Amino acid sequence: MRRAGALAGVVAGVLSLFGIAGVACAAIDPGKATAPRMEFVPPPPGSYKLQKIQRVTDALLLDSSAHSVRLSALTHSKITLLTFFYTYCVDPLGCPFAHTTLAYLRDRVRGDRALAERVRFVSVSLDPTHDTPEVIASYSKEFTIDPKFDWRFLTARRVPDLLPVLDDFGQDVSVEMDENGHPMRTLHHMLKMFLIDARGNVREIYTLAFLQPQVMFNDIKTLALETG
Amino acid sequence: MRIHRRPIVNFCIAAIFSVAVASHADETCNSPYMSGLIKGQEDFVHVWTLGVPGLGDGWDKLVTIDANPSSKTYGKVIHKISVGSRGEAHHMGFTDDRKYLWAGGLDDSKIYVFDVGSNPSRPKLVKTIDDLPAKTGYAGPHTFYALPGRMLIGDLSNAADKGGVTGMAVYNNKGDFIAKYDMPTTTIKQVKGDGYGYDIAVNPAKNALLTSSFSGWNNYMRDLGELMKDPEAMKHFGNTMVMWNLKTMEPEQVLAVPGAPLEIRWALSEGQNWAITATALTSQLWLVSRGPQGLWQAKDVAQIGDPAKVPLPVDISITADAKGLWVNTFMDGTTHYFDLTDPQHPKETYSKHTGSQVNMVSQSWDGRRVYVTSSLLSKWDKKGKDNEQFLRAFHWDGHELTPAFEIDFTKEQLGRPHHMKFTANPSRVASLAGASAR
Repeated sequence: MRRAGALAGVVAGVLSLFGIAGVACAAIDPGKATAPRMEFVPPPPGSYKLQKIQRVTDALLLDSSAHSVRLSALTHSKITLLTFFYTYCVDPLGCPFAHTTLAYLRDRVRGDRALAERVRFVSVSLDPTHDTPEVIASYSKEFTIDPKFDWRFLTARRVPDLLPVLDDFGQDVSVEMDENGHPMRTLHHMLKMFLIDARGNVREIYTLAFLQPQVMFNDIKTLALETG
Repeated sequence: MRIHRRPIVNFCIAAIFSVAVASHADETCNSPYMSGLIKGQEDFVHVWTLGVPGLGDGWDKLVTIDANPSSKTYGKVIHKISVGSRGEAHHMGFTDDRKYLWAGGLDDSKIYVFDVGSNPSRPKLVKTIDDLPAKTGYAGPHTFYALPGRMLIGDLSNAADKGGVTGMAVYNNKGDFIAKYDMPTTTIKQVKGDGYGYDIAVNPAKNALLTSSFSGWNNYMRDLGELMKDPEAMKHFGNTMVMWNLKTMEPEQVLAVPGAPLEIRWALSEGQNWAITATALTSQLWLVSRGPQGLWQAKDVAQIGDPAKVPLPVDISITADAKGLWVNTFMDGTTHYFDLTDPQHPKETYSKHTGSQVNMVSQSWDGRRVYVTSSLLSKWDKKGKDNEQFLRAFHWDGHELTPAFEIDFTKEQLGRPHHMKFTANPSRVASLAGASAR
């Protein structure tokens, strides 16, 4: 947790240097983001049950080798942490923060060989037009340093293929427009990460306030303990 | 989708739409995980309104009022949508993405889901959930508190005996039932739970979920005058608050807070360790804070009006910096302001008679606008000329509430106005589908 806390501190520091720009809504001013805080000792793995929030609906997406892949193949048989991102997102508490948190969790999970074989991460791009398989392949190199750890980066052939996935997960996305009504390079989306059990059920959803790596690690182990 | 390249740095606004905020009341009283908090001028106030037989269509309805002073229809009702029944409309809550507003009926236990994201000036009813009693045994859905991807619902009663023993239900954002959690009736940390429920408030940094307690259908659907003359019935009010472990959803501590503790507001700034509530029957502010051994403790820290006159404090609204608190007292129609700079010793610094009866109070994030509605419950509202039914908007300059506009809900044939929520028009954004089609 110390490392995660340090990470959060660094990110918060970067945020304060950058400030917040690009707020698209005149009246809706969400203000400055804050890194998640954890001022409690998380309950130990297996001492609680995670709710079955929803089933994941299947869809056809593309992997970083441009092969078609069924989402259901990546949301079953292992414990899955799934998030949405886009490669050119630079909000320090947005997609980069999500992937930094996942990288930390990857290292924690890798420390437990038996657990590591039962866990995968999935990152799905929100911008299939820009984030082609080639682009996500390049982007993902930083995170897929261990070929033994299952971390997939996905995109879609086109936006309409992605929309049902977003709708199913309840992942809202909107695009900032310029004064002439043209889309710009800012996607508004609520940062969410989905913990999915080996049977394809969403068991926890983390928004920014809940991206507490120790809690997330315990949740993964809790699911692992369910099936022994 | 063709995305224009821009040479300057743009921020993905993922994180700032999922901000852990400084405190919460209304705008400041929304779940802290909700996106798109309105820190500027709200465009619309939505009022969940109880139907009155013979008044308009008589049904419960969501009334939308234009609240933007720059609009031509400022201070006017611009939309209303009836739900086709009368079930004691009461409270509402946004989903985590602020696209949908869930609204409950305390009598019929129905939950209505309105789409307020597509066009906030014209909400649409998109779903009715009517399986709460069947799935949980609970009745009277009261508080709608957004968790990521789901809604935590605090209930007031139960379907079996319609008393106050109840619990919390969890539905996903699609409207499917997920889980239920009974309010504790056992002794935890030396205090016995009464099983009653009312409000819900979460502090994510502390993994803390705090609940309060009111009364069941048998009391809240009974004429207030009769009820107060019935000593046996008056025993059936909540006298506890419960601190839950949010992750495990286990009650960890029951706190004795006599007199029906109602709305709960956390101070969520870093370093703050407290929440505040008001007790309806004993007319006090109670502070829930961490004690020296790490246990939570509840303490009465201020009186609200003259308790001997039973002013009946109802809604409260905390400022964004948690330094001030609005409190409405129903019986004397007074809106009070407490200085919370020292939360252990709140001081009333201002009060104003804002109506013959007042219930809900909501303030804008910047605290400059304060909205008050009149109705408490259909059987508890006053009779005759004192049965004013209104929404009154005020400007607040830190010293005086100055009237901004007023809607007479009786004259407009609307009903009894209760809970308020704000929305704003998003500007210069398009859906991913819309942008990709360009």
